[in-house]
Amino acid sequence: MSDHKILLKLDRIEKRFPGVLALKSISLDVRAGEVQVLLGENGAGKSTLMKILAGEYQATGGTITIGDRTVSTLTPELAAELGIGLVHQELSLVPALSVTENIFLGRMPRGPLGKIDWGKAHAEARRALAALGVTIDPATEVRRLEVAEQQLVEITRVLERGPRILLLDEPTSALSDGERSRLFDVIRRLKQRGHGMIYISHHLSEIPMIADRVTVLRDGIVIDTLPADKADEETVIGMMVGHSLADQFPKVKVERGKPTLSVDRLASGKTLKDISFTLHRGEILGVYGLMGAGQAEIAAALFGLQDLKSGTIEVDGRPVHFRYSSDAIAAGLGLISRDRRQSLVPMQPVGPNLSLSWLSGRSLLSRLDLKRERTESERYVRELRVRPASLAHRLMFFSGGNQQKVILARWMSSGAKILIFDEPTRGIDVGAKAEVFALMSRLVADGASILMISSELNELIGMADRVLVMRHGRLSAELPREQLSQENLLRHAS
Amino acid sequence: MTEQTGVAKVGAAASAETAVSRRANIRQVLFQAGPLIALVLLMAFLSLATSNFLTVDNLSNVARQTAFVAILAVGQTFVILTGGIDLSVAAVAALSASIAAVLLTAPLVLFGVDIGFLPPVLAIVVGLGIGFVAGAFNGWVIATFKIPDFIATLGTMTIFRGMALLVTDGLPVPSFDSGRQLPETLIWVGGGKLFGLPVSALLALLCGAVAWYILRYTALGRSIYAVGGNREAARASGISIARTKILTYAISGLLAAIGGIILVGRLNSANALMAEGEELRSIASVVIGGTNLFGGEGGVIGSIVGAAIIGVLGNGLNLLDVSPFWQRIAQGVVIVVVVIFDQWRRRSLTRS
Repeated sequence: MSDHKILLKLDRIEKRFPGVLALKSISLDVRAGEVQVLLGENGAGKSTLMKILAGEYQATGGTITIGDRTVSTLTPELAAELGIGLVHQELSLVPALSVTENIFLGRMPRGPLGKIDWGKAHAEARRALAALGVTIDPATEVRRLEVAEQQLVEITRVLERGPRILLLDEPTSALSDGERSRLFDVIRRLKQRGHGMIYISHHLSEIPMIADRVTVLRDGIVIDTLPADKADEETVIGMMVGHSLADQFPKVKVERGKPTLSVDRLASGKTLKDISFTLHRGEILGVYGLMGAGQAEIAAALFGLQDLKSGTIEVDGRPVHFRYSSDAIAAGLGLISRDRRQSLVPMQPVGPNLSLSWLSGRSLLSRLDLKRERTESERYVRELRVRPASLAHRLMFFSGGNQQKVILARWMSSGAKILIFDEPTRGIDVGAKAEVFALMSRLVADGASILMISSELNELIGMADRVLVMRHGRLSAELPREQLSQENLLRHAS
Repeated sequence: MTEQTGVAKVGAAASAETAVSRRANIRQVLFQAGPLIALVLLMAFLSLATSNFLTVDNLSNVARQTAFVAILAVGQTFVILTGGIDLSVAAVAALSASIAAVLLTAPLVLFGVDIGFLPPVLAIVVGLGIGFVAGAFNGWVIATFKIPDFIATLGTMTIFRGMALLVTDGLPVPSFDSGRQLPETLIWVGGGKLFGLPVSALLALLCGAVAWYILRYTALGRSIYAVGGNREAARASGISIARTKILTYAISGLLAAIGGIILVGRLNSANALMAEGEELRSIASVVIGGTNLFGGEGGVIGSIVGAAIIGVLGNGLNLLDVSPFWQRIAQGVVIVVVVIFDQWRRRSLTRS
């Protein structure tokens, strides 16, 4: 492998966002005919790096060498010209257009008078899809396809531009096992043709299936690049996390108290069916499921953001019915949403973001308590070590971890006792993660209860007292802390 | 600012970051003062370029003419801050003004029963109430049926104009031949002076001051910024989007009614088609004043300054003897240039 030609070389790439250094110094190379798996926790900088390579972000330092061209930044056009193709993590298709139009967007085959040659276009689209072993009618509108099918269209679209270097950002996250192995076949075929690929994944189990080399990122730097046969799970996790699990998860033993939140045979939304569980005072109750298993709807259903079809909820033994989130807040619930962008008002500073939930259930004509807002903001900024320690700065200038602390402070200040943490560490760096976990421990020690919905196995193993495992919208298992392991959780989830 | 320095002491470690962001902050303040600086420069230029701009008469005249758009712009600011837009403001102003004028000048006949003349104050209160209800109706339609604000108010704009035509029978009020004239007090409000200042302009400033207070110190103000800044965050924090929207549009309607009735006083007449096109001028004032057209940031002070810029510009071009055709072009250019500048400003702020 090492004698293969180097297609792409990154030298000390740096990327600075306002308030955050996302990439500190990234150096790596990609050779012809290899699949390099890029690993790292959320927020390690993988997606940022991909976007720099695709020309969507401009690096603030370092150089990129492709073939014999060395540049400091790329534009999308230049990246395409130099043969870089990116398969996005988020789908970047136009839902209202057909599969064919999406594949050839902006480059539809034309007849002599500039008229689109539909027959040829559909035929070529069909051929391109067939090369991936996919049978989708190219005339279908993309929005009518399953997510997995859309993912395959996206890959086809990128491949159609004939890239030499292919960047795949979690391409299998929406795919079934069958679809995944088909994608892997395609990847192997591309390898033989001399393409170089960077493949981002969260599934460590995919390393032996596809990788030639493995590169681990953490906090915006490259920890190391290993040959795939040396990259066993334990080594890789150690490199990703950076220190032993005990430091990362400051779990405190708390006496389990009375039941606070009881859910009985709840059904809601598209997936949730027959969900029953009880959350106790002083407990961190984890919820785990593979994508689409229904854990994404639990928070909305419990918080009055989504209607219940059936079932009951009790808080401290009293039946409750949350029509709006204000009812849930009045009952002492707090929600840290899975998408931070859905929790904060980016153009406002800490104060208004902190006190947002105080408005719940209050008359619109009532006066704000600006004095309390200021004192509590100062207090939480100090206690939670929010950086920058500024009450004037708008939240959009804060890093993900610091934004998350502000949201946490919101619920602490409004006195919520039952907290729903929905993917609490998504997109925040390792240091901030440890701080969030420490706060969770402190909250339960102070008598709160936490429902921790997470797709990060090691975080659940590190923090939860019990974990509810979901499958197809139902609870498939309830595992006590002693039985928590990656294998156990995955077995019950799939 | 004082808050920031108070807390900044806590985090010496983060001083580098804070320094960077403090620079961004100073720039932010400079940008916010942008419309005011533009107004001052414009006025300075006109004072030098013309002999009669900087006279008490002329400035009073500009203030009187601007008052109406400024009041509409204050209401429009509330709506735009929530991420909406109110195309019906001018129509609501015409409807409220028409109803008030009809009640002031003709005896009220309800279901064939002649009730006689209403007391003038009651007639005006009814006019204002109509504005409030019309606005609330806008908000209700938008919140209940989840229709885009633009479409909903585009529809109600026509509905309210039609209702105004029905009320006035398509004729100016008061009509030339019969009925009472409008009360002197109303004409004084529209065109008179108090302590040497135009009453209508003082009322516009009063509306602005109350609106500023609401936006800054009440739960409604916060909810408006939150709904416009991030709807989902507002919803998940227990804020009722529907209630906020309805009250916001109702306030916009009420302010349109106030503006409309003042305009009747100035023109000494109401008609169903009065103030046509002024809704666009109110939106332009808000945007020139620096409020984000997508909601969440901005405020009423900017909008009043924006209305003043449009007013002074029109007056200045008149004094400079520019043809009305060119005046329109010039006003359009100003709006586009301001929005280009605003976009550039936002990009440079987020990039810092």
